[in-house]
Amino acid sequence: MSIVTLKILLEIMFLTIVFLHISKKNYDAAIAYGIQSFCVVLILFNSFQETGNILMLFIVLLTLVVKVILAPTFFTRLVRKHDLNISINTYLNISLTLITVVILTAIAHSSKLLPLTTIIPANQTLLALSLSVMLLALFLIVNRQGAILQIIGILSFENAIVAFTVFAGLEQSAALQFGIIFDIVIWITIATTFVSMLYKHFGTLNVTSIKNLKE
Amino acid sequence: MELLFIISTFFIAAIIGLLTKRRRVIEYAAIIASAISLVGSFIIANKVATEKIYNVSAVFSIDALGAIILLIISIVSLTTAIYSVEYLRQETAKDIIRVNRPRQYFILLNLFMMAMFMAVSFNNPILAWISIEATSLSTAFLISFYNKPSAMEAAWKYLTVNAVGLLIGFFGTMLYFTAFQPGSEAGLVTWQSLLANASHMNPIIAKIAFIFVLIGYGTKVGFVPMHTWKPDAYGKAPAPIGAMFSAALLPVAILIILKFRIITNSVVGVAFSQHLFLAFGLMSIAVPAFMMLILKDYKRMLAYSSIENAGVIALGFGFGGIAILASILHIIYHSLVKASLFFLSGNYLLKYNSAKIENVKGSINVIPITSVLFLAGFMAITGAPPFGILITKILIFSAGIKTYPIISLIGLLLIVILFIGFFKHAVAMVFGKKPETMKREKENIWLILPSLSLMVLVLLLSFYQPVFLQTLINNAALQY
Repeated sequence: MSIVTLKILLEIMFLTIVFLHISKKNYDAAIAYGIQSFCVVLILFNSFQETGNILMLFIVLLTLVVKVILAPTFFTRLVRKHDLNISINTYLNISLTLITVVILTAIAHSSKLLPLTTIIPANQTLLALSLSVMLLALFLIVNRQGAILQIIGILSFENAIVAFTVFAGLEQSAALQFGIIFDIVIWITIATTFVSMLYKHFGTLNVTSIKNLKE
Repeated sequence: MELLFIISTFFIAAIIGLLTKRRRVIEYAAIIASAISLVGSFIIANKVATEKIYNVSAVFSIDALGAIILLIISIVSLTTAIYSVEYLRQETAKDIIRVNRPRQYFILLNLFMMAMFMAVSFNNPILAWISIEATSLSTAFLISFYNKPSAMEAAWKYLTVNAVGLLIGFFGTMLYFTAFQPGSEAGLVTWQSLLANASHMNPIIAKIAFIFVLIGYGTKVGFVPMHTWKPDAYGKAPAPIGAMFSAALLPVAILIILKFRIITNSVVGVAFSQHLFLAFGLMSIAVPAFMMLILKDYKRMLAYSSIENAGVIALGFGFGGIAILASILHIIYHSLVKASLFFLSGNYLLKYNSAKIENVKGSINVIPITSVLFLAGFMAITGAPPFGILITKILIFSAGIKTYPIISLIGLLLIVILFIGFFKHAVAMVFGKKPETMKREKENIWLILPSLSLMVLVLLLSFYQPVFLQTLINNAALQY
């Protein structure tokens, strides 16, 4: 794939994370996560094409199954099961959220973070974009009040790290990547189970309403 | 070989739990697996003491500090398994949990123990990260074990805060791989190969990477301000799980941070990590010191005490010199005493049916052995004589007073404040007028023995350490 194609993939990832910040429906958020993960799969596929390592193809397929098919399916099922389509508010209003998104993107592209974005100088734009997605995913986790979007934020953060490591030439062996994906599968399963249990106990997924533990 | 045997034994014990519903079999499997791990850990520790390192292929490697932590995990695991059997039996008898719940408990406990052994012994930073992540996954359901809304909330907080923390740690870990030239075939990256190639790292990236690692794994340790999950999780999890978290998981996460610290130091010098350790250490003493004055729950009190001790350990590594040796000793003493205190908190919970300090009064007249041990534990953990923590704190702060006098003085002042808060609560629980309805009963030996044995052990180790342990402590202090 050309660098332009890879940049477009990262830009789609970037747009999905911006969309997750303003999305009003959990169903749409799950789909957006699926699209974002599909971009990661394509980036990994490009990496497989460059190395020709057949085990990497296995990792690509596994990522496809886990992140593009299984995870969004889990989320959409959860949304349907508990009728949770309307996503819960953000701490900051839309305007402030978007201003923060702009600031974080600017920080990721700033000269302060040059050591990170120039690990491979030829990939500077790609690394800066990956870093933006990472910062925006972290912001999503802290800004969203809904448990489902917090999970999606955590998984988006992980997607951004994967993209960053590929473009920084820090990809690990297939065996290690298998271990990481295995961990993620278990995490997704446990997290979605907990979301169901939280809803059962509290009747809401708004984390600001879940405050039994104030000392 | 011993290491693989230990890991597979825990795995088999977990499988036994899956295959059978016979409670006794599941309980014995957990105890036997922990006992085997203790024997195996002693063999490994002896080998490390004589040969400096224990290798099983390139994948597993244990150094002196790793061997010490293996010993800690196995001792705490065995006492936890023994205590859990009777504790859960009593909870079942009181209808606090259903009859089938201990099965789930022991399966997850065995997986948790296995993950900790793997985290310590894996020679690859990514595999170590996967193992640490596995500890989170295996324990989330243990925190929500009582299926109450508050327990669910604590588990959710634990799951999300630790997931974010560990992903940050993962990103930091990946940045260390810039030590290898792009496109070079690094093979299986080990801690040793990372260190050997550290000179190729950009110093700024090394600094950024260490900050990420410290925040990431520091979340697992519970350094302030990443500690928010800790009081909730410790407060809501069954008491023996609190013991495992505080006494075993905390040192494992510290070990991983220290391994990255060596690499960072070789790139940017000692001062950078030293200052970060001092900052996190001091913050981690300050918050518990003030929280201790207003706490209402004795399990949360133990959680804040763990945060404070993590702070003391970090200060020791920050001060350097003799304080590093003292910090290693502090890790050992803290783990043994804190596990004992968590078991005793379980005894209080069983007797008083409340974790609120205000509901526990005059325990010396209700559960006298538990109360005496609790007071001894309080003295040990706060650094009162004759326990070893007094010496470790003196060594840490006397080393610090020469190089960082203001930090040392502030740290000492905070420890005094913490002592006052802890003392106030401990005295209120043990003495005072017991509730009219509360009767004195004979205490179950299996709820006492694990705490008692740990307290005896810590007292012994305060005055005498076997030669192999001394060698391990000295080697670890030199290395870290």
